[in-house]
Amino acid sequence: MSGGERPLPEGAPRRLSPLTWIVGAVRETLALLAVAVTALLVSEGGAGLYFAMAALGFGLVHQVVRWWTFTYAVTDDRIVLRHQLIGRSVKTIPLERVRGVDITAGFLHRLLGLAVLRIDAASDGDEGVLNAVSRREAERLRELLLGRREEPSREHVIARADLSWYRYAPLSGAYLLTPFALIGSLLGTLYNLNNEFGLVSEGTLSHLGDTVVGLPPILGVLALLLLALVMPVASVLVFTWFNWDFTLRAVPGEDDKGALAAERGLVSRRSVTLERRRVRGVELRDNPLERRKNVARLTALVTGLGDAEHRGRLLPTAPRETVLHVAEEVVGKFKEPLTGHPRAALTRRLVRAVLPPLAVSVLAVASGPLWLAIVAAVATVAAVPLALDRYAQLGHASGGGLLSVRSGSLVRNQQIIEHRAVVGWRFRQSLFQRRRDLVTLTVAVGAGEGAYDALDLSEEDALRLASCVEPDWITPFLATPPKPPADPREPPAS
Amino acid sequence: MAKWAVELLLGGAVLTGCAFALSGWAARADWAWRLPWLPWLVVAVTALSVLTVPYWRYRVHRWEISSDVVYLRIGALQRQWLLVPVSRIQTVDAQQNWLERLLRLATLRISTASHEGSSELVGLPLPTATSLASELAHRAHALRDDAT
Repeated sequence: MSGGERPLPEGAPRRLSPLTWIVGAVRETLALLAVAVTALLVSEGGAGLYFAMAALGFGLVHQVVRWWTFTYAVTDDRIVLRHQLIGRSVKTIPLERVRGVDITAGFLHRLLGLAVLRIDAASDGDEGVLNAVSRREAERLRELLLGRREEPSREHVIARADLSWYRYAPLSGAYLLTPFALIGSLLGTLYNLNNEFGLVSEGTLSHLGDTVVGLPPILGVLALLLLALVMPVASVLVFTWFNWDFTLRAVPGEDDKGALAAERGLVSRRSVTLERRRVRGVELRDNPLERRKNVARLTALVTGLGDAEHRGRLLPTAPRETVLHVAEEVVGKFKEPLTGHPRAALTRRLVRAVLPPLAVSVLAVASGPLWLAIVAAVATVAAVPLALDRYAQLGHASGGGLLSVRSGSLVRNQQIIEHRAVVGWRFRQSLFQRRRDLVTLTVAVGAGEGAYDALDLSEEDALRLASCVEPDWITPFLATPPKPPADPREPPAS
Repeated sequence: MAKWAVELLLGGAVLTGCAFALSGWAARADWAWRLPWLPWLVVAVTALSVLTVPYWRYRVHRWEISSDVVYLRIGALQRQWLLVPVSRIQTVDAQQNWLERLLRLATLRISTASHEGSSELVGLPLPTATSLASELAHRAHALRDDAT
């Protein structure tokens, strides 16, 4: 009765792999073991241990029952997930609504040849989860769900992570800080445990503090140095953990475009398949360090994709050349140079960056502590180059059925969006912008984050950019241009 | 230009209701702080806003529907102009709350695949709103392309 091994008629209900509950059981055992050990340490066995054992037994039964009561069936036009014991829940996803399939295999899953299959449907945040099926069954389902049975030979690799890419990991703040986040959460857990069991008394803590203070300063410097050494290494490790052997494949399909499949991960392997006709654009992201090294990250803007940040990932930090090549492969060539924004935008960037820290420093000088004033003053000075760079990075362009906007400095984003994805335009003009004849144009897009801003365009540029997509939408209103409406005092006509 | 254009705007009634609620709240709020002038201030501000804001809003809110674009203009201090192609409209709802029912007005909610592209036309007369809703939905369906 296990999935995939024996040929079952299509449409017959199948169960998840029976190995699933082993995974669940092992996980629960590990978790409970940890609890049990702590319980043993803290209260020398007794009730805690028995309680843990009972919970373990209960969890096992629960796993088996879950496995027993969950079935799924794929028919010609839909997949039905059924979970019934006393209550019953049936989830039906029409195959035509399936937008992507996400196959994840954790360490245990890989050991047992299993994979978790997530089905992305076009409804609101709804997805079907098959936790877990055999690896082969997952592949079979993916083909079935995405409506194509391709021999793997027709797939071709668009991009594959090069060994040199791992060097870029320390450039990205996220990878640099992840180890800290891990340590932080670990410490947090310890602290909670401490609260509950009173492992560490106040005395030990203050003693520890005294010891730290009592250490010679040279040790502190050494620790910092060590940290500076360890951080890049750790970031490379984290990068490897998530992005090992990152491979992006093009899967040809029946319809014009087929799908994109991205696979990555060292221990737990994740494979995401995106239908190409759902991809509406790409987003390039980099920070100043990455710009120096000429590398960037690439994400796809996909309609109706949950967890887009992770699932839409097309490339980890990679050389710009590769990024542009992949972007071209995905949405087509975009070679228009970006148009810069008017000088007035620079003033606005400066004001926006400098004013808040300046206000704080003035307040601090007037009535606050000295250190705050100094910090704020430094921030004020630092804000100037930031504002300059923010201005330098502003840009927009349109051509070849694509349009692009770019902004940001510390995190610079450039979106390349297909014209057909644009679902609306919103021109915004605040009082200050009105004085300088600037407009912020928001491009509403039915994909990705839903909207992308072109900050502080001149009015003509805003109109030009908007009319690039579909002149018919804008020109009727140019007689009464969106800027100063021709005659706002027109009486209501009805 | 537009095949037909109707210009209209929200009656100040919604705002009046809000303002009265606010002043009522303020009148009750003075037990905690000794600010006997606060309710009066609120009443004054309310009176002023009731007198001016609806008119102001009425002046700046404009909408227009051409053959393939819905055009909206709102905002007095921060101005906004919104253009939504009819072909990208997903759903059109005409809604009425109790006050709007009382005043025979309706709100037309136009939603697209993006929250930024979605918009509301507030304070339409009911017949206009319902006919617009069906008309827009019909046309959106006819013009629909695959961009979702």
